[in-house]
Amino acid sequence: MNAAAKSSLLHLSLTDAADALKDGSVTAVELTTVALEAFTRIDKAINSAIWLEGAAALEAAEALDKKRKSGATLGPLHGLPLAHKDMYYKAGKLSTCGSAIRKDFRPGYTATVMERLEEAGSVTLGGLNMAEFAQNPTGHNQHYGHCRNPWHTDYCTGGSSSGSGAAVAARLVYGALGSDTGGSIRLPAAICGVTGIKATQTRVSRHGVMPLSFSADNVGPLTQTARDAARFLGVIAGHDPKDPTSSAEPVPDYEAALTGDIRGMRIGVPTNYFFDGIDPEVQAAFDAMVAVLEARGAIILPVTIPHMDAVATYGGIVSRVEGGTIHAQWMRERPQDYAVHLSGRLYPSQGIPGTYYIEALARRGAILKAVAAAVFGVCDAFITPTLRMKVPTLLATDIDAGTPGAIETFQDVSINTRPINYLGLPSVSVPCGLDSNGLPIGFQIQGRPFAEARVLKIADAYQRDTGWHRRLPPNVS
Amino acid sequence: MQTPLRDIVAVQAQTWSGISQPNEAAGVMADALAASIAGFTALRGQLAFEDEPSSFEAALQATKEPQP
Repeated sequence: MNAAAKSSLLHLSLTDAADALKDGSVTAVELTTVALEAFTRIDKAINSAIWLEGAAALEAAEALDKKRKSGATLGPLHGLPLAHKDMYYKAGKLSTCGSAIRKDFRPGYTATVMERLEEAGSVTLGGLNMAEFAQNPTGHNQHYGHCRNPWHTDYCTGGSSSGSGAAVAARLVYGALGSDTGGSIRLPAAICGVTGIKATQTRVSRHGVMPLSFSADNVGPLTQTARDAARFLGVIAGHDPKDPTSSAEPVPDYEAALTGDIRGMRIGVPTNYFFDGIDPEVQAAFDAMVAVLEARGAIILPVTIPHMDAVATYGGIVSRVEGGTIHAQWMRERPQDYAVHLSGRLYPSQGIPGTYYIEALARRGAILKAVAAAVFGVCDAFITPTLRMKVPTLLATDIDAGTPGAIETFQDVSINTRPINYLGLPSVSVPCGLDSNGLPIGFQIQGRPFAEARVLKIADAYQRDTGWHRRLPPNVS
Repeated sequence: MQTPLRDIVAVQAQTWSGISQPNEAAGVMADALAASIAGFTALRGQLAFEDEPSSFEAALQATKEPQP
Protein backbone atom coordinates (compact mmCIF):
# COMPACT_ATOMS: atom_id res chain seq x y z
CA MET A 1 0.00 0.00 0.00
CA ASN A 2 1.49 3.39 -0.97
CA ALA A 3 1.58 6.45 1.30
CA ALA A 4 -1.46 8.11 -0.32
CA ALA A 5 -3.55 4.97 0.03
CA LYS A 6 -2.55 4.64 3.67
CA SER A 7 -3.46 8.25 4.42
CA SER A 8 -6.78 7.91 2.69
CA LEU A 9 -7.70 5.09 5.09
CA LEU A 10 -7.28 7.49 7.99
CA HIS A 11 -9.36 10.15 6.25
CA LEU A 12 -12.40 7.86 6.44
CA SER A 13 -14.93 8.63 9.11
CA LEU A 14 -15.22 6.18 11.99
CA THR A 15 -18.39 4.65 10.58
CA ASP A 16 -16.96 4.41 7.04
CA ALA A 17 -13.83 2.73 8.41
CA ALA A 18 -16.06 0.31 10.32
CA ASP A 19 -17.85 -0.50 7.04
CA ALA A 20 -14.49 -1.07 5.30
CA LEU A 21 -13.49 -3.50 8.06
CA LYS A 22 -16.85 -5.25 7.80
CA ASP A 23 -16.67 -5.78 4.04
CA GLY A 24 -13.10 -7.07 4.33
CA SER A 25 -11.43 -4.35 2.29
CA VAL A 26 -9.13 -3.56 5.19
CA THR A 27 -8.03 -5.22 8.43
CA ALA A 28 -7.64 -3.98 11.99
CA VAL A 29 -3.90 -4.60 11.74
CA GLU A 30 -3.68 -2.43 8.60
CA LEU A 31 -5.64 0.42 10.19
CA THR A 32 -3.64 0.23 13.41
CA THR A 33 -0.37 0.17 11.47
CA VAL A 34 -1.24 3.25 9.40
CA ALA A 35 -2.46 5.09 12.51
CA LEU A 36 0.80 4.39 14.34
CA GLU A 37 2.78 5.47 11.26
CA ALA A 38 0.75 8.67 11.07
CA PHE A 39 1.58 9.48 14.69
CA THR A 40 5.28 9.04 13.85
CA ARG A 41 4.96 11.25 10.77
CA ILE A 42 2.67 14.03 12.00
CA ASP A 43 2.65 14.14 15.79
CA LYS A 44 6.07 15.76 16.21
CA ALA A 45 4.47 18.99 15.05
CA ILE A 46 1.26 18.83 17.08
CA ASN A 47 2.23 16.79 20.15
CA SER A 48 -1.16 15.16 20.59
CA ALA A 49 0.08 11.97 22.30
CA ILE A 50 1.68 11.58 25.72
CA TRP A 51 2.35 7.87 25.26
CA LEU A 52 1.63 5.16 22.70
CA GLU A 53 1.81 1.38 23.02
CA GLY A 54 2.27 0.29 19.42
CA ALA A 55 3.18 -3.34 20.01
CA ALA A 56 0.26 -3.95 22.37
CA ALA A 57 -2.10 -2.21 19.95
CA LEU A 58 -0.97 -4.34 17.02
CA GLU A 59 -1.33 -7.48 19.12
CA ALA A 60 -4.89 -6.46 20.04
CA ALA A 61 -5.65 -5.69 16.38
CA GLU A 62 -4.37 -9.09 15.30
CA ALA A 63 -6.63 -10.80 17.85
CA LEU A 64 -9.59 -8.76 16.59
CA ASP A 65 -8.89 -9.78 12.98
CA LYS A 66 -8.80 -13.43 14.05
CA LYS A 67 -12.09 -12.99 15.88
CA ARG A 68 -13.65 -11.51 12.73
CA LYS A 69 -12.47 -14.47 10.66
CA SER A 70 -13.94 -16.87 13.22
CA GLY A 71 -17.45 -15.60 12.50
CA ALA A 72 -18.02 -14.44 16.09
CA THR A 73 -20.46 -11.66 16.90
CA LEU A 74 -18.61 -8.35 16.67
CA GLY A 75 -19.05 -5.03 18.43
CA PRO A 76 -19.87 -1.71 16.73
CA LEU A 77 -16.26 -0.47 16.93
CA HIS A 78 -14.58 -3.73 15.97
CA GLY A 79 -11.04 -3.15 14.73
CA LEU A 80 -11.01 0.66 14.94
CA PRO A 81 -7.88 2.34 16.36
CA LEU A 82 -8.70 4.97 18.98
CA ALA A 83 -6.67 6.85 21.59
CA HIS A 84 -7.96 8.70 24.62
CA LYS A 85 -7.32 11.64 26.86
CA ASP A 86 -4.76 10.39 29.36
CA MET A 87 -7.11 10.27 32.34
CA TYR A 88 -9.07 7.09 31.66
CA TYR A 89 -7.76 4.40 33.94
CA LYS A 90 -6.73 1.00 32.67
CA ALA A 91 -5.32 -1.39 35.25
CA GLY A 92 -1.53 -1.33 35.19
CA LYS A 93 -1.31 1.25 32.38
CA LEU A 94 0.06 4.76 32.64
CA SER A 95 -2.46 7.53 33.31
CA THR A 96 -0.58 10.80 33.74
CA CYS A 97 -3.65 13.06 33.82
CA GLY A 98 -1.37 15.50 31.98
CA SER A 99 0.49 16.16 35.21
CA ALA A 100 3.94 15.88 36.75
CA ILE A 101 2.32 14.75 39.98
CA ARG A 102 0.91 11.63 38.30
CA LYS A 103 3.70 11.09 35.78
CA ASP A 104 4.18 7.50 36.96
CA PHE A 105 0.60 6.76 38.07
CA ARG A 106 -0.63 3.31 37.10
CA PRO A 107 -4.12 2.66 38.51
CA GLY A 108 -5.15 -0.74 39.74
CA TYR A 109 -8.53 -0.78 38.04
CA THR A 110 -10.11 0.04 34.69
CA ALA A 111 -12.61 2.73 33.78
CA THR A 112 -16.01 1.43 32.73
CA VAL A 113 -15.87 3.47 29.51
CA MET A 114 -12.55 1.84 28.60
CA GLU A 115 -14.04 -1.61 29.26
CA ARG A 116 -17.05 -0.77 27.09
CA LEU A 117 -14.92 0.59 24.24
CA GLU A 118 -12.68 -2.46 24.20
CA GLU A 119 -15.65 -4.84 24.52
CA ALA A 120 -17.04 -3.05 21.45
CA GLY A 121 -13.85 -4.03 19.62
CA SER A 122 -11.81 -0.84 19.53
CA VAL A 123 -8.01 -0.86 19.62
CA THR A 124 -6.46 1.50 22.19
CA LEU A 125 -3.27 3.14 20.91
CA GLY A 126 -2.34 5.16 23.99
CA GLY A 127 -2.90 8.25 26.10
CA LEU A 128 -3.42 11.67 24.54
CA ASN A 129 -2.18 15.06 25.65
CA MET A 130 -4.46 17.14 27.83
CA ALA A 131 -4.49 20.15 30.09
CA GLU A 132 -2.91 19.34 33.45
CA PHE A 133 -5.63 17.58 35.48
CA ALA A 134 -8.13 18.72 32.78
CA GLN A 135 -8.03 22.20 34.28
CA ASN A 136 -7.61 24.62 31.37
CA PRO A 137 -9.66 25.52 28.29
CA THR A 138 -6.70 26.16 25.96
CA GLY A 139 -4.57 22.99 25.87
CA HIS A 140 -1.42 24.41 27.43
CA ASN A 141 0.69 21.79 29.17
CA GLN A 142 3.99 22.69 30.83
CA HIS A 143 4.91 19.09 31.61
CA TYR A 144 4.44 17.27 28.30
CA GLY A 145 4.61 20.28 25.97
CA HIS A 146 1.68 22.27 24.66
CA CYS A 147 -0.58 20.46 22.25
CA ARG A 148 -0.59 22.41 18.97
CA ASN A 149 -3.41 23.04 16.56
CA PRO A 150 -3.09 20.98 13.36
CA TRP A 151 -4.57 23.92 11.41
CA HIS A 152 -1.73 26.22 12.56
CA THR A 153 0.73 25.23 15.25
CA ASP A 154 1.00 28.75 16.73
CA TYR A 155 -2.63 28.49 17.84
CA CYS A 156 -4.13 26.70 20.79
CA THR A 157 -6.11 23.49 20.36
CA GLY A 158 -8.65 24.26 23.02
CA GLY A 159 -8.79 22.21 26.15
CA SER A 160 -8.83 20.44 28.23
CA SER A 161 -9.13 17.51 25.79
CA SER A 162 -6.43 19.04 23.60
CA GLY A 163 -4.84 15.85 22.28
CA SER A 164 -8.25 14.35 21.52
CA GLY A 165 -9.23 17.32 19.35
CA ALA A 166 -5.85 17.55 17.63
CA ALA A 167 -5.49 13.80 16.97
CA VAL A 168 -8.95 13.51 15.41
CA ALA A 169 -8.44 16.69 13.36
CA ALA A 170 -5.06 15.44 12.10
CA ARG A 171 -6.71 12.12 11.20
CA LEU A 172 -4.45 10.09 13.48
CA VAL A 173 -7.38 8.21 15.03
CA TYR A 174 -11.07 7.76 14.23
CA GLY A 175 -12.21 9.01 17.59
CA ALA A 176 -11.05 9.82 21.09
CA LEU A 177 -12.53 10.14 24.54
CA GLY A 178 -12.48 13.61 25.99
CA SER A 179 -14.04 14.95 29.16
CA ASP A 180 -16.11 18.08 29.64
CA THR A 181 -16.58 19.97 32.91
CA GLY A 182 -16.80 23.49 31.48
CA GLY A 183 -16.41 22.89 27.75
CA SER A 184 -13.43 20.56 27.55
CA ILE A 185 -14.90 18.39 24.77
CA ARG A 186 -16.70 21.12 22.86
CA LEU A 187 -13.87 23.66 22.90
CA PRO A 188 -11.20 21.45 21.29
CA ALA A 189 -13.87 20.12 18.94
CA ALA A 190 -14.72 23.64 17.78
CA ILE A 191 -11.13 24.89 17.71
CA CYS A 192 -9.76 21.85 15.88
CA GLY A 193 -12.70 21.51 13.44
CA VAL A 194 -14.18 18.21 14.64
CA THR A 195 -17.42 17.06 16.26
CA GLY A 196 -17.66 16.57 20.02
CA ILE A 197 -20.56 15.75 22.30
CA LYS A 198 -21.04 16.29 26.01
CA ALA A 199 -24.06 14.23 26.94
CA THR A 200 -26.57 14.96 29.70
CA GLN A 201 -25.02 15.05 33.17
CA THR A 202 -25.18 11.44 34.50
CA ARG A 203 -25.54 9.88 31.02
CA VAL A 204 -22.04 8.29 30.92
CA SER A 205 -20.26 6.47 33.76
CA ARG A 206 -17.33 8.19 35.44
CA HIS A 207 -16.01 5.13 37.24
CA GLY A 208 -12.25 5.01 36.74
CA VAL A 209 -12.08 8.54 35.35
CA MET A 210 -9.86 11.20 36.93
CA PRO A 211 -12.20 13.58 38.78
CA LEU A 212 -12.17 17.33 38.39
CA SER A 213 -15.64 18.21 39.64
CA PHE A 214 -18.09 15.58 40.90
CA SER A 215 -21.09 17.72 39.94
CA ALA A 216 -20.06 18.78 36.46
CA ASP A 217 -17.69 16.15 34.97
CA ASN A 218 -18.83 14.43 31.79
CA VAL A 219 -17.26 11.80 29.55
CA GLY A 220 -17.77 11.90 25.79
CA PRO A 221 -16.28 11.45 22.33
CA LEU A 222 -14.59 13.67 19.77
CA THR A 223 -14.97 12.36 16.24
CA GLN A 224 -15.03 13.51 12.65
CA THR A 225 -18.81 13.39 12.15
CA ALA A 226 -22.06 13.44 14.12
CA ARG A 227 -22.74 9.88 12.97
CA ASP A 228 -19.38 8.80 14.38
CA ALA A 229 -20.24 10.50 17.67
CA ALA A 230 -23.62 8.74 17.74
CA ARG A 231 -22.03 5.33 17.35
CA PHE A 232 -19.29 6.08 19.90
CA LEU A 233 -21.71 7.52 22.47
CA GLY A 234 -24.04 4.55 22.03
CA VAL A 235 -21.21 2.30 23.22
CA ILE A 236 -20.29 4.24 26.35
CA ALA A 237 -23.68 5.62 27.52
CA GLY A 238 -25.89 3.92 30.07
CA HIS A 239 -26.07 3.04 33.73
CA ASP A 240 -23.04 1.59 35.44
CA PRO A 241 -23.43 -0.07 38.85
CA LYS A 242 -19.87 1.03 39.61
CA ASP A 243 -20.97 4.67 39.24
CA PRO A 244 -24.17 5.11 41.26
CA THR A 245 -24.49 8.67 39.94
CA SER A 246 -24.96 7.38 36.38
CA SER A 247 -28.51 7.48 35.04
CA ALA A 248 -30.67 4.39 34.54
CA GLU A 249 -32.46 6.16 31.66
CA PRO A 250 -32.57 3.77 28.66
CA VAL A 251 -30.05 4.45 25.88
CA PRO A 252 -31.79 4.88 22.52
CA ASP A 253 -30.28 3.95 19.16
CA TYR A 254 -28.65 7.30 18.44
CA GLU A 255 -27.71 6.42 14.86
CA ALA A 256 -31.28 5.44 14.04
CA ALA A 257 -32.32 9.02 14.81
CA LEU A 258 -30.05 10.45 12.11
CA THR A 259 -32.57 10.69 9.31
CA GLY A 260 -31.61 14.15 8.08
CA ASP A 261 -35.22 15.25 8.51
CA ILE A 262 -35.40 18.34 10.71
CA ARG A 263 -38.45 19.82 8.96
CA GLY A 264 -40.61 21.66 11.45
CA MET A 265 -38.08 21.35 14.24
CA ARG A 266 -38.05 24.54 16.30
CA ILE A 267 -34.51 25.72 16.95
CA GLY A 268 -33.94 28.70 19.21
CA VAL A 269 -31.23 31.33 18.90
CA PRO A 270 -30.67 33.08 22.25
CA THR A 271 -31.29 36.81 22.38
CA ASN A 272 -29.18 37.21 25.52
CA TYR A 273 -25.71 36.34 26.86
CA PHE A 274 -24.26 34.02 24.20
CA PHE A 275 -23.57 36.69 21.55
CA ASP A 276 -22.29 39.52 23.76
CA GLY A 277 -19.10 40.91 22.25
CA ILE A 278 -18.97 38.22 19.56
CA ASP A 279 -16.29 38.42 16.88
CA PRO A 280 -17.86 39.45 13.54
CA GLU A 281 -16.29 36.49 11.70
CA VAL A 282 -17.78 34.05 14.22
CA GLN A 283 -21.15 35.78 13.88
CA ALA A 284 -20.99 35.53 10.07
CA ALA A 285 -20.21 31.82 10.20
CA PHE A 286 -23.05 31.31 12.68
CA ASP A 287 -25.51 33.18 10.47
CA ALA A 288 -24.50 31.10 7.44
CA MET A 289 -25.01 27.94 9.49
CA VAL A 290 -28.49 29.09 10.52
CA ALA A 291 -29.39 29.55 6.85
CA VAL A 292 -28.44 25.91 6.19
CA LEU A 293 -30.70 24.67 8.99
CA GLU A 294 -33.53 26.87 7.71
CA ALA A 295 -33.09 25.54 4.19
CA ARG A 296 -33.46 22.04 5.66
CA GLY A 297 -36.86 23.03 7.03
CA ALA A 298 -36.02 23.93 10.62
CA ILE A 299 -37.95 26.82 12.15
CA ILE A 300 -35.49 29.30 13.62
CA LEU A 301 -36.83 31.53 16.38
CA PRO A 302 -35.42 33.92 18.98
CA VAL A 303 -35.45 32.71 22.56
CA THR A 304 -34.47 34.36 25.82
CA ILE A 305 -32.66 32.10 28.25
CA PRO A 306 -33.78 33.07 31.75
CA HIS A 307 -31.52 33.34 34.79
CA MET A 308 -28.30 33.62 32.78
CA ASP A 309 -26.73 35.82 35.48
CA ALA A 310 -27.37 33.07 38.01
CA VAL A 311 -26.21 30.32 35.64
CA ALA A 312 -22.96 32.16 34.93
CA THR A 313 -22.32 33.04 38.58
CA TYR A 314 -23.18 29.66 40.07
CA GLY A 315 -21.61 27.70 37.22
CA GLY A 316 -18.34 29.48 37.89
CA ILE A 317 -18.29 28.35 41.50
CA VAL A 318 -19.19 24.67 41.61
CA SER A 319 -16.31 23.14 39.67
CA ARG A 320 -13.77 25.55 41.18
CA VAL A 321 -14.65 24.58 44.74
CA GLU A 322 -14.83 20.86 43.97
CA GLY A 323 -11.52 20.99 42.07
CA GLY A 324 -9.92 22.95 44.86
CA THR A 325 -11.09 20.35 47.37
CA ILE A 326 -9.76 17.43 45.31
CA HIS A 327 -6.35 19.08 44.95
CA ALA A 328 -6.01 20.50 48.48
CA GLN A 329 -3.53 17.90 49.72
CA TRP A 330 -1.16 18.36 46.78
CA MET A 331 -1.57 22.14 47.03
CA ARG A 332 -0.34 21.89 50.62
CA GLU A 333 2.49 19.47 49.95
CA ARG A 334 3.80 20.14 46.44
CA PRO A 335 2.32 23.28 44.86
CA GLN A 336 5.52 23.75 42.86
CA ASP A 337 4.67 20.63 40.84
CA TYR A 338 1.67 22.32 39.22
CA ALA A 339 1.98 24.74 36.31
CA VAL A 340 1.62 28.37 37.42
CA HIS A 341 -1.77 28.80 35.74
CA LEU A 342 -3.15 25.74 37.54
CA SER A 343 -1.91 26.37 41.07
CA GLY A 344 -3.02 29.96 40.48
CA ARG A 345 -6.50 28.75 39.57
CA LEU A 346 -6.81 26.16 42.36
CA TYR A 347 -5.65 28.47 45.13
CA PRO A 348 -8.52 31.03 45.22
CA SER A 349 -11.10 28.25 45.63
CA GLN A 350 -9.92 28.05 49.25
CA GLY A 351 -11.36 31.52 49.76
CA ILE A 352 -14.85 30.77 48.43
CA PRO A 353 -17.31 30.30 51.33
CA GLY A 354 -19.04 26.95 51.66
CA THR A 355 -22.35 28.78 51.80
CA TYR A 356 -21.76 30.08 48.26
CA TYR A 357 -21.02 26.56 47.03
CA ILE A 358 -24.18 25.17 48.64
CA GLU A 359 -26.25 28.03 47.23
CA ALA A 360 -24.91 27.25 43.74
CA LEU A 361 -25.83 23.57 44.09
CA ALA A 362 -29.15 24.22 45.83
CA ARG A 363 -30.46 26.39 43.02
CA ARG A 364 -29.25 24.16 40.17
CA GLY A 365 -32.41 22.06 39.90
CA ALA A 366 -34.79 24.99 40.19
CA ILE A 367 -32.88 26.95 37.56
CA LEU A 368 -32.82 23.97 35.19
CA LYS A 369 -36.60 23.66 35.54
CA ALA A 370 -37.08 27.37 34.87
CA VAL A 371 -34.78 27.31 31.83
CA ALA A 372 -36.43 24.17 30.47
CA ALA A 373 -39.91 25.66 30.85
CA ALA A 374 -38.99 28.94 29.18
CA VAL A 375 -36.77 27.55 26.41
CA PHE A 376 -38.02 24.07 25.64
CA GLY A 377 -41.60 25.23 25.99
CA VAL A 378 -41.14 27.10 22.72
CA CYS A 379 -38.33 25.26 20.94
CA ASP A 380 -36.87 21.76 20.64
CA ALA A 381 -33.22 22.81 20.86
CA PHE A 382 -31.16 25.97 20.95
CA ILE A 383 -27.92 26.85 19.20
CA THR A 384 -25.05 29.17 20.04
CA PRO A 385 -21.47 29.72 18.92
CA THR A 386 -19.15 27.40 20.87
CA LEU A 387 -16.70 30.30 21.29
CA ARG A 388 -17.48 33.96 20.81
CA MET A 389 -13.91 34.74 19.80
CA LYS A 390 -11.66 33.57 17.01
CA VAL A 391 -9.15 30.90 18.01
CA PRO A 392 -6.43 32.56 20.12
CA THR A 393 -2.74 31.80 19.84
CA LEU A 394 -0.94 29.75 22.46
CA LEU A 395 1.05 32.85 23.40
CA ALA A 396 -2.01 35.08 23.88
CA THR A 397 -3.41 32.66 26.47
CA ASP A 398 -0.15 31.65 28.16
CA ILE A 399 -0.47 32.66 31.81
CA ASP A 400 2.76 30.90 32.76
CA ALA A 401 4.68 33.01 30.23
CA GLY A 402 3.22 36.16 31.79
CA THR A 403 1.49 37.34 28.61
CA PRO A 404 -0.46 40.53 29.44
CA GLY A 405 -4.21 39.87 29.30
CA ALA A 406 -3.74 36.09 29.23
CA ILE A 407 -5.84 35.48 32.36
CA GLU A 408 -8.82 37.35 30.89
CA THR A 409 -8.56 35.73 27.44
CA PHE A 410 -8.17 32.33 29.10
CA GLN A 411 -11.45 32.89 31.01
CA ASP A 412 -13.29 34.14 27.94
CA VAL A 413 -12.55 31.01 25.88
CA SER A 414 -15.13 28.95 27.81
CA ILE A 415 -17.73 31.66 28.43
CA ASN A 416 -20.35 29.98 26.19
CA THR A 417 -19.68 26.41 27.24
CA ARG A 418 -19.54 26.65 31.06
CA PRO A 419 -23.24 27.54 31.52
CA ILE A 420 -24.31 24.37 29.72
CA ASN A 421 -22.45 22.24 32.27
CA TYR A 422 -24.23 23.94 35.14
CA LEU A 423 -27.55 23.22 33.44
CA GLY A 424 -26.49 19.62 32.72
CA LEU A 425 -27.86 19.70 29.17
CA PRO A 426 -26.61 17.61 26.24
CA SER A 427 -24.54 19.69 23.85
CA VAL A 428 -22.72 18.86 20.62
CA SER A 429 -20.18 21.15 18.97
CA VAL A 430 -20.05 21.08 15.18
CA PRO A 431 -17.61 22.78 12.75
CA CYS A 432 -19.23 25.58 10.72
CA GLY A 433 -16.45 27.62 9.13
CA LEU A 434 -12.91 28.90 9.06
CA ASP A 435 -11.79 32.32 10.25
CA SER A 436 -9.45 34.68 8.41
CA ASN A 437 -6.47 33.01 10.09
CA GLY A 438 -7.54 29.67 8.67
CA LEU A 439 -8.66 28.33 12.07
CA PRO A 440 -11.98 26.52 12.60
CA ILE A 441 -15.22 28.01 13.95
CA GLY A 442 -17.84 25.87 15.68
CA PHE A 443 -21.39 26.07 17.00
CA GLN A 444 -23.06 24.07 19.75
CA ILE A 445 -26.54 22.54 19.84
CA GLN A 446 -28.35 22.02 23.16
CA GLY A 447 -31.47 20.01 23.90
CA ARG A 448 -33.49 18.90 26.89
CA PRO A 449 -31.93 16.43 29.32
CA PHE A 450 -31.40 13.07 27.58
CA ALA A 451 -32.08 14.58 24.13
CA GLU A 452 -28.74 13.38 22.75
CA ALA A 453 -30.51 11.82 19.76
CA ARG A 454 -32.12 15.15 18.89
CA VAL A 455 -28.96 17.27 19.08
CA LEU A 456 -27.05 14.66 17.07
CA LYS A 457 -29.88 14.59 14.52
CA ILE A 458 -29.57 18.34 13.98
CA ALA A 459 -25.78 18.06 13.77
CA ASP A 460 -26.01 15.25 11.23
CA ALA A 461 -28.59 17.12 9.16
CA TYR A 462 -26.26 20.12 9.02
CA GLN A 463 -23.31 17.95 8.04
CA ARG A 464 -25.29 16.40 5.17
CA ASP A 465 -25.31 19.82 3.49
CA THR A 466 -21.89 21.12 4.49
CA GLY A 467 -18.29 19.98 4.32
CA TRP A 468 -16.60 21.77 7.21
CA HIS A 469 -16.24 18.53 9.18
CA ARG A 470 -14.54 16.87 6.18
CA ARG A 471 -11.93 19.58 5.67
CA LEU A 472 -8.35 18.62 6.39
CA PRO A 473 -5.79 20.84 8.11
CA PRO A 474 -3.23 22.11 5.56
CA ASN A 475 -0.36 19.88 6.64
CA VAL A 476 -2.35 16.67 6.97
CA SER A 477 -2.06 14.44 3.94
CA MET B 1 -9.76 51.20 53.03
CA GLN B 2 -11.05 47.71 52.18
CA THR B 3 -8.76 44.72 52.69
CA PRO B 4 -7.63 43.43 49.28
CA LEU B 5 -9.33 40.14 48.41
CA ARG B 6 -6.00 38.40 47.95
CA ASP B 7 -5.19 39.14 51.59
CA ILE B 8 -8.53 37.76 52.77
CA VAL B 9 -8.04 34.61 50.67
CA ALA B 10 -4.48 34.24 51.99
CA VAL B 11 -5.72 34.20 55.59
CA GLN B 12 -8.60 31.84 54.81
CA ALA B 13 -6.49 29.44 52.74
CA GLN B 14 -3.77 29.25 55.36
CA THR B 15 -6.08 29.16 58.38
CA TRP B 16 -8.61 26.64 57.11
CA SER B 17 -6.54 24.54 54.71
CA GLY B 18 -2.83 25.15 55.38
CA ILE B 19 -2.36 26.36 51.79
CA SER B 20 -0.14 29.31 50.86
CA GLN B 21 -0.38 31.56 47.81
CA PRO B 22 1.85 29.76 45.31
CA ASN B 23 2.60 32.58 42.87
CA GLU B 24 1.54 36.04 41.70
CA ALA B 25 -0.99 34.64 39.22
CA ALA B 26 -2.80 33.08 42.19
CA GLY B 27 -3.03 36.51 43.80
CA VAL B 28 -4.44 38.03 40.61
CA MET B 29 -7.01 35.22 40.39
CA ALA B 30 -7.90 35.69 44.08
CA ASP B 31 -8.54 39.37 43.39
CA ALA B 32 -10.75 38.30 40.47
CA LEU B 33 -13.16 36.63 42.93
CA ALA B 34 -14.61 40.12 43.18
CA ALA B 35 -16.65 39.34 40.08
CA SER B 36 -18.10 36.22 41.73
CA ILE B 37 -18.93 38.17 44.88
CA ALA B 38 -20.70 40.79 42.78
CA GLY B 39 -22.64 38.02 41.05
CA PHE B 40 -23.74 36.48 44.33
CA THR B 41 -24.60 39.88 45.75
CA ALA B 42 -26.90 40.56 42.81
CA LEU B 43 -28.63 37.23 43.32
CA ARG B 44 -29.34 37.67 47.03
CA GLY B 45 -32.86 36.90 48.13
CA GLN B 46 -33.55 34.25 45.50
CA LEU B 47 -32.75 31.18 47.60
CA ALA B 48 -35.78 29.95 49.55
CA PHE B 49 -35.27 28.92 53.17
CA GLU B 50 -36.37 25.35 52.44
CA ASP B 51 -34.18 24.78 49.37
CA GLU B 52 -31.86 21.79 49.65
CA PRO B 53 -28.99 20.76 47.38
CA SER B 54 -30.74 17.59 46.29
CA SER B 55 -33.05 18.42 43.43
CA PHE B 56 -30.81 18.53 40.36
CA GLU B 57 -31.10 14.85 39.37
CA ALA B 58 -34.86 15.07 39.91
CA ALA B 59 -34.93 18.15 37.69
CA LEU B 60 -33.09 16.27 34.92
CA GLN B 61 -35.82 13.64 35.01
CA ALA B 62 -38.64 16.19 35.29
CA THR B 63 -37.46 18.14 32.25
CA LYS B 64 -36.21 15.32 30.04
CA GLU B 65 -37.00 14.73 26.37
CA PRO B 66 -40.21 12.68 26.08
CA GLN B 67 -39.54 9.23 24.60
CA PRO B 68 -41.22 8.57 21.24
